[in-house]
Amino acid sequence: MHKYFKNMDVLGKPLKDKVKQRTQENVQEVQQAEQEVDAAKEKIKEFGLPTEKINSRGQLTIWQRLEILIDEGTWHPLHVLYNPADNDDCTTNIVDGLAKINGRWAVVVGFDNKYLAGAWVPGQAENVFRVTNLAKRLNVPLIWVVNCSGVKLPEQEKFYGGRRGSGTTFYRHAELEQMGIPVLAGIYGTNPAGGGYQGVSPTILFAHKDCNIAVGGAGIVSGMSPKGYFDVESAQELIDVAKQYRATPPGGVDVHYDETGFFRYVFEKEEDLLQAMRDYMIKLPAYDPEFFRVDDPKDPKYPTEDLYHLLPVNPKRTYDFEQILARLVDGSEHQEFRPDYGPEIYTGLVKVDGMLCGCIGNRQGIMPKGYPEYADYPGIGGKLYRQGLIKMNEFVTLCGRDRLPIIWFQDTSGIDVGNIAEKAELLGLGQSLIYSIQQTDVPMMLVTLRKGSAAAHYIMGGPTANRHNAFTLGTVATEIYVMHGETAAVATYTRRLIKDQDAGKSLEPTVEKMNELVKKYHDTSRPIFCAKTGLIDEVSALKDLRGYLQAFAGAVYQNPKSICPQHHLITPRVAKG
Amino acid sequence: MSEEIRSPLAGKVWTVTVKEGDTVEEDDEIMVLEAMKMETPVYSSVDGTVKEIKVKKGDAVEEDDVLVVIE
Repeated sequence: MHKYFKNMDVLGKPLKDKVKQRTQENVQEVQQAEQEVDAAKEKIKEFGLPTEKINSRGQLTIWQRLEILIDEGTWHPLHVLYNPADNDDCTTNIVDGLAKINGRWAVVVGFDNKYLAGAWVPGQAENVFRVTNLAKRLNVPLIWVVNCSGVKLPEQEKFYGGRRGSGTTFYRHAELEQMGIPVLAGIYGTNPAGGGYQGVSPTILFAHKDCNIAVGGAGIVSGMSPKGYFDVESAQELIDVAKQYRATPPGGVDVHYDETGFFRYVFEKEEDLLQAMRDYMIKLPAYDPEFFRVDDPKDPKYPTEDLYHLLPVNPKRTYDFEQILARLVDGSEHQEFRPDYGPEIYTGLVKVDGMLCGCIGNRQGIMPKGYPEYADYPGIGGKLYRQGLIKMNEFVTLCGRDRLPIIWFQDTSGIDVGNIAEKAELLGLGQSLIYSIQQTDVPMMLVTLRKGSAAAHYIMGGPTANRHNAFTLGTVATEIYVMHGETAAVATYTRRLIKDQDAGKSLEPTVEKMNELVKKYHDTSRPIFCAKTGLIDEVSALKDLRGYLQAFAGAVYQNPKSICPQHHLITPRVAKG
Repeated sequence: MSEEIRSPLAGKVWTVTVKEGDTVEEDDEIMVLEAMKMETPVYSSVDGTVKEIKVKKGDAVEEDDVLVVIE
């Protein structure tokens, strides 16, 4: 099959110096916006006790542990800004991402022991579910760095119980294990109650000598007050008893290594535990990448830095999608699928680190004359029309048949609307695409380059494709909303304006409301907001996008649940004809 | 020999990036048109000198209207 995959067609062309000069302002705007995102992420990284304080206790921080555990240069963080519960004092108190450990891809997650010794906090469970979903979708090991003091007691009602509370994590671990996906845990510190189950629910437990996991805590002085309330007198009694009370947390190494054997291994030093986990990765299932490669890995032909010139932060400015793709895929090569059909959509086969992936994206700009064929108005990139929808359905279905992962790129204002569009079956074709995606059971990822809006954001492999979308990235140009704020203001307030005018009232108050709504849409669609609320899983710098694609492709092909032999692939043959 | 750079769409002239007498190369941006809320750049298809600019900012244009003549 080498004629299909080696020396594929080349995408894009080099940027001329004049183009670089002309777009220098855009470069600066993007870089400045990325610096703001980096500052927000750094603030979260620095949150909690200082590193020196943790180290003075003879412990490493989560960041120091990850540095030892993970292969250098392979950390691809996710959910750094994610804070679905809008906590004032922290985000979700865990750190997660994709990384290589001793050459093998894994989903890595750890408690941030700089805050409340790694406690459960509101919103954390939602983060954990995204992490377990990621391991499940990619079929790669889940690696925990456990250091969990249990429930943040003053806020337990927000996450202790319910269908999606922190306890659901343990069922998720069992589910992964039932699917044959191992969960490894490196355990540090005191882990009572919920922390105990965090420690015991994984598959193989690597314990630091000073750690413990237990059903209950060290045994606080009996908490319930006989009076039914606390006063200064009872507070003094507590003080007197507690000062004399010294309890060793139960479930230490003397129990769970020497007696129960829950701990498979015990280590004197923190670093030795992490090294042992690194060594253990070799024992876990993983194909040699050569099994799946269709070509030797190669860098894109054009530099990634060009992306800063190519992706306009001005949302009204059009650009060439293929120029962007050319900076992200191996050799800047592709095999386009149906280039003569559905021009508003790019579909094609690309290689990432030599692995074959399907790729779908929105083209921008005015479409050729006479398109869409069912209407007398011009077509514009970013919108979806009948042919583009049919083409995506075909391509997704073929990728599913060929077991090819799909990388989606969105910059869409939605599907064409109106009775003409309805007669062209666009509503049904949109749902058909959702059906097609659901039929595939192949991993997908999404990069929301700029706009993700309306139903198009759903159907083009968006995060609503829960079972299939492994993760969604945004850029500093991302904006996600059901429609543009101005459109929303018109839809919401036009009738009111008419009524006000007919009644002889001033239009000013309603106009003010319209502008407030526009501002609200703007504020709640920015990249940092999207990351904080989980509309995307991470804001990526443009220069880091290819790294995420490599992590995705590498993880997908490490131990896939199904295989289509290269010489049985049908998509490249259909594309070639 | 002159080359007429024609509008690819019906819209409005948003900005004119060149002036008469400028030297341009193929793929240089010469103006930006606005249509359907999007700004679409128009590029020169040849190397040459801008001989005549037939439109100005704010003008409405139809598809295939001549925008610029390059010599």
